[in-house]
Amino acid sequence: MNLLGRDVPVRALLERIESRLQLRGLREAPSADEGVADEVEPRVDPLSFNLGALEEHADPTRPLPLHTHRGGVGQLVVVAKWAFRKTCQVFINEALARQRLFNGHVRDSYAQLSAEVLRLRAEVAALKAEKAPASKAKRTPRKRAR
Amino acid sequence: MAVHQLIPSFVSGDATGQAALHFQLLLRRLGHFGNIYAGEVEPSLSSLALPARALRPEPDDLVLYHHGIASPLAGRVLHLRCRTGMVFHNITPARFYEGTPLHEPLVSGRAQLAALAPWLDLAIGVSRYNSRELEVVGAKNVHVVPLFIEPERFLPEAADRTLAAKLGNARNAPTIVSVSRIAPHKRFEDLLALHEESLRLNPDARLIVVGGYDSGSRYWKSLRRRMKGLRGITFTGRVSHAELVAAYRAGSVFVSMSEHEGFGVPLLEAMACDLPVLAFAAAAVPETLGGAGIAFTEKRFAFLAELVHELHHDHDLREKVLRGQRRRLEELSAARAEQALGAALSSIGIARPHARRPRADRRPKVAIVVQRFGDEVTGGAEKHARDVADRLAPYWDITVLTTCAKDHLTWKNELPAGPDRVGRLKVLRFPARRVRDIHRFNALSRTRFGRPLDRMHEEHWIAEQGPLVPDLFEHLAHHAADYDGFVFFTYLYAPTVWGLPMVAQKALLVPTVHDEPPLYFHAYADALERPRALLCNTPEEQALIARRSAHAARARVVGVGVEPLPGNPERFRRQFHLDRPYLLYVGRIEPGKGVDALLRHYRALRRSDPGAPDLVLAGALHMTLGGEGVRYVGRLSEQEKWDALSGARAVVVPSRFESLSLLALESFAAGAPVVANGDSDVLRGQCERSGAGRCYTDAASFVEAVEDVTLRREELSRKGRAFAKKHSWEAVVRCYREELDRIIKETRR
Repeated sequence: MNLLGRDVPVRALLERIESRLQLRGLREAPSADEGVADEVEPRVDPLSFNLGALEEHADPTRPLPLHTHRGGVGQLVVVAKWAFRKTCQVFINEALARQRLFNGHVRDSYAQLSAEVLRLRAEVAALKAEKAPASKAKRTPRKRAR
Repeated sequence: MAVHQLIPSFVSGDATGQAALHFQLLLRRLGHFGNIYAGEVEPSLSSLALPARALRPEPDDLVLYHHGIASPLAGRVLHLRCRTGMVFHNITPARFYEGTPLHEPLVSGRAQLAALAPWLDLAIGVSRYNSRELEVVGAKNVHVVPLFIEPERFLPEAADRTLAAKLGNARNAPTIVSVSRIAPHKRFEDLLALHEESLRLNPDARLIVVGGYDSGSRYWKSLRRRMKGLRGITFTGRVSHAELVAAYRAGSVFVSMSEHEGFGVPLLEAMACDLPVLAFAAAAVPETLGGAGIAFTEKRFAFLAELVHELHHDHDLREKVLRGQRRRLEELSAARAEQALGAALSSIGIARPHARRPRADRRPKVAIVVQRFGDEVTGGAEKHARDVADRLAPYWDITVLTTCAKDHLTWKNELPAGPDRVGRLKVLRFPARRVRDIHRFNALSRTRFGRPLDRMHEEHWIAEQGPLVPDLFEHLAHHAADYDGFVFFTYLYAPTVWGLPMVAQKALLVPTVHDEPPLYFHAYADALERPRALLCNTPEEQALIARRSAHAARARVVGVGVEPLPGNPERFRRQFHLDRPYLLYVGRIEPGKGVDALLRHYRALRRSDPGAPDLVLAGALHMTLGGEGVRYVGRLSEQEKWDALSGARAVVVPSRFESLSLLALESFAAGAPVVANGDSDVLRGQCERSGAGRCYTDAASFVEAVEDVTLRREELSRKGRAFAKKHSWEAVVRCYREELDRIIKETRR
């Protein structure tokens, strides 16, 4: 356990509390990880995330998990939604058939375009890398004649 | 060039909305104009934020997009043809929401962040922690502009009394307070575990949790199960600002168990309420605490319960923590945030234009900013502005910046927008964006007055008050450097409260303050504290401002001058067929001016003395008049007014809310005694200093005052004339010129 505070006698406070815990028979083994959890979240690549999301949700006839954020009446709503799906899935499929086709095209187009973007980015990076040593060499200053 | 803000939603109680308003406050202080646009605007707040679809930026504008959870606006930002920036509030890690509908928008928000990052001209994290994430996703030109709170909104008097009484105080037992919406990553289950340990040390220990929750969510249900068998827990749900303050102030220690915070505003709010802060050192929490409070790295609940009790009982330890927290609050002040935002904007070439160096060989160029202006406009402050402008015109190159409205109740655009002339004065008129529905506005006022509010609710009231003139603000932002000085009239209206901070370094304010509920809104602080000087009308107004704000700008009493025209009472009597003595009122005839109470008192006078003088009312009529002896004569010309004043038995001034009664001064000058509403400190002061008037507070004292001034008319008339002579325009003009010269000298330096 680490306490962080500029205005308090941290060590003395820790010792005082630990000794009180000991008196109560509550001494705990200190944890191995006592650092501050301040790592930032990793980057989510937008191209692959969007492609994944389009794949996941391309079929509009597939239901999302049943959910409510309301108590009481909210539970009844969940039951009603479940009953609707059970009894009306065939109509849902019929109503959304064209949407499913359309979503599939959107997904495939995005996949092709994003692949193209990735290929072009790689090409640009390679060209830049190729160009960099050449321009460096050009910029090397010549010694001025005295 | 404008700096607009774009946020996903603008609804009451939303933290991003509050942050956008704070940014707007800073932007105004930095001299920039801009609107708030939102994907979703709460209908009742439509005066304060515009729908995102209305955003049409110019190429050199900057749009600052506030990003958090996934929003359709992120895609829109990519296609804006102007400079773009982001204010990143961070996104809760999706791992806390596996299997819930929130999981995908959280991941999606991070994907949008990465997609936007390379396109941004400016990236702002509200903490260093957030800025690090911006850098990780590839944003360039990353800055930190920390959020801030307004500590004066958290003073004990801001606490809701009902909730405070219900929650009691923490004198008897340690009371933990925690504030945030009830969500998995806030780890309320850890708070319950801590409370359980706390109960072992003191069975009277309490836990107060403030924040909204979804009653049907699995998480809430699991907390409910966990709570069974635990005593002393209060869940308040969502609360108003005053209730929030009451909850903070009912506690002895603030505890946060949250495992992810991009900043942690409640930590600062607890500090402002003098509540020691104990928080799990996750994400941006240690940075926000900045060494103040106590952060812990491990959740050992028995240990933390001991620590809570130590903070509750050990006075010395508590005082040390509180001292450090006060220091931290100062470090995270609005002024620091303003500095940081200014630096961030400068990095993309957005800076306050340099003031033009005033030239000694020409008249100073001055803008007079007032809500209405013109020959057909009535109103005390507006007439005041006109009189001052007319008298200063020989010395200053004046442009009056005003609206197209004639009517202050609706702000309807009745005069053409653009350049205009009133007498010899140049006028620039700007159209109001909204028409005011006065009945709806009055209903809103009843819900807002007399109770502590957060900034959003105060700013909303100001927006509804109006007049909303975006083009005027844009003019101030673009042309601030063209003027040597600004004189704003009336603190109350949007052009002053929002416009003055943009040019505060060169601004004088004629506040025309009187003791009314909005004066105590903290949102008016900038208008009263930032100008170079306040030019008051009376010593009572000056004293009121000093009582209202310890940090108010330097104030001096300047007032107005009176130049009486010779009056011909007989002409007035003939014109309006008046054959009996009369009491006179001149001004807007409406309940807000106390005319309804005056009519009641006058009826009492007639009952006690059927031969009492008539009551003659002149001015714009906004209410129904009636009753024996009551005469309405319509609006009077200047000469007719002086004729009327000089023949009056006495002049009645019934308004309670006055910063100066011009009518009283003119009555004194015309030799008419004054019978004034004694509930107004200003009128009472004017009557006492002149010795030429009597005050009333009810019907009985009104009857008595009228009888007294009738008996002593000659003596009061003499005193009144002597008093009025002291109010010359020459002295007033000298004061205004002195104050502007001071500004010009400092600008030159």
